[in-house]
Amino acid sequence: MSHPLTLPAADQTRRGRGRLLTALGIVLLAGTYAALVATQPAGLVDGIGQGVALATFGAYLAAALLLLAAALPQLPPAALTLIPIALALNIVLGQFVGSVMIPLYLDSIGTVLVGFLAGRRAGAATGILGTLVWSLFNPTVLPFAAGAALVGFLAGTAARIGAVRRVYLAPVAGLVAGVLAGVVSAPVAAFVFGGTAGVGTGALVGAFRAMGDSLLGAVTKQALLSDPGDKAIVFLVVALLVYALPARLTSRFDFVRRHRVLGRRAAG
Amino acid sequence: MLSAARLHPFTPLAVAAAVVTTTTALGTWWVSLAVVLGCLALAAAAGVLARLAVASLAILAPAWGSQLIIHGLAGRAGEHVIAAAGPLRVTSEGLETAAGLGARLAVLVVAGLLCALLVDTHDLVAAVDSSPAPPQVGYLVAATLSLLPQLAARQRAIGEAQTLRGARAGRGPSGWWTRLRLRAVPLVLSSVHDAADRAPHLAARGFPPRSRVTRLRRVPDSTAQRRVRRLALAAAVVGPVAVLGVPVLLPAGGA
Repeated sequence: MSHPLTLPAADQTRRGRGRLLTALGIVLLAGTYAALVATQPAGLVDGIGQGVALATFGAYLAAALLLLAAALPQLPPAALTLIPIALALNIVLGQFVGSVMIPLYLDSIGTVLVGFLAGRRAGAATGILGTLVWSLFNPTVLPFAAGAALVGFLAGTAARIGAVRRVYLAPVAGLVAGVLAGVVSAPVAAFVFGGTAGVGTGALVGAFRAMGDSLLGAVTKQALLSDPGDKAIVFLVVALLVYALPARLTSRFDFVRRHRVLGRRAAG
Repeated sequence: MLSAARLHPFTPLAVAAAVVTTTTALGTWWVSLAVVLGCLALAAAAGVLARLAVASLAILAPAWGSQLIIHGLAGRAGEHVIAAAGPLRVTSEGLETAAGLGARLAVLVVAGLLCALLVDTHDLVAAVDSSPAPPQVGYLVAATLSLLPQLAARQRAIGEAQTLRGARAGRGPSGWWTRLRLRAVPLVLSSVHDAADRAPHLAARGFPPRSRVTRLRRVPDSTAQRRVRRLALAAAVVGPVAVLGVPVLLPAGGA
């Protein structure tokens, strides 16, 4: 009897476990976010503030790890080989963009690329793993893993519903992803770090604070000014890059073929 | 010189987690300062002081600037006004908040970066592989860490090749876009091609394995280190709960 060379499809038990872990991660993330928005603790460095900072850090990180544990065992080898490339691209292209003094992050090109080519599970896993690897060089990014996962997940969702079939729809999907990612990440910036990581963004938050906004409100507004534009450009750039890839390459990804991510071209 | 070669990679990470959570819960500037100085002393003993200082300052300087603007200049809290101009108010309470947040952040950054500098990445990958984490995690971390320098070198080579063939990018946003296109398209194309070629080979080798496989690399470990890790992980959770739950434990001089 011959043995197949490829792995069998994920069984029902694994999928059920994955769904349970995903649900737990989403509930933890949504619950923490709702609690922070509802209570908006004022003190940042007194007893309550320290507890809130630790709880937010822990809950966001735990939610991201639950989502990673849910997604990883279900990924096919094609996605597994693409993810390290994407993580390295996030860092290498992010550094290149940063080095030319353009006020954009563009540090999620790889994450969105995986979302477009391998689906939302792979996209979310790439976002989380990218944050974990990057935290070796900058530990402050660790609690933002859930936001990065959301970007990858939304990129996969956008590709699945056909937002990449027309290139002009990709930045629209990026705008939506940027709004959601900015809103989800704002409590971490506000309550864990008391603001932002850069002087420019800090000045924006300071301006909103001086106009009477709460800290969470000011950080959220700053995120809504920066993130949607950044993600719209990233989604557009990645859509153009995906179309620049030869069809024989993109059609190797099951997700691209099954959901006709690139329209008629995927059949090529 | 301090040697981290005999440390299991998870040992400094667990100790750092306990130190960061407990220090954050205490929220006392002199405890945070002592922890940062302790980390710098360890880095000096390990011969990585300069690298730690440069990397930490690169992260901390803009973050401190941001916290100073948000809380020290534009903060709304505080009655002891030091200076005021229009909507901007510098208060002693705002400056204290900024200093407290800065100290909290410094502990996270310095302790985290010290761990990254002390831990051997090959040992870290082997330790992840030997842990109960899914086997994909070890592969992905190892592949990413080895691909990073390769892709950076390939990007530089692409840039040089584009210059040699006379490709000009120009200035302004269109020049930036041209530069990005000239670098990103060949880089992404070749990288995705490599990844797609590698996938069938990985599947044919039976990855991910369904059972534990024998590791050829042995990660240094000992009973004492295992105990330290267990204690540190317990302290990372129990420490903050004890400090925040029993306010008597909070030392005087909090930020």
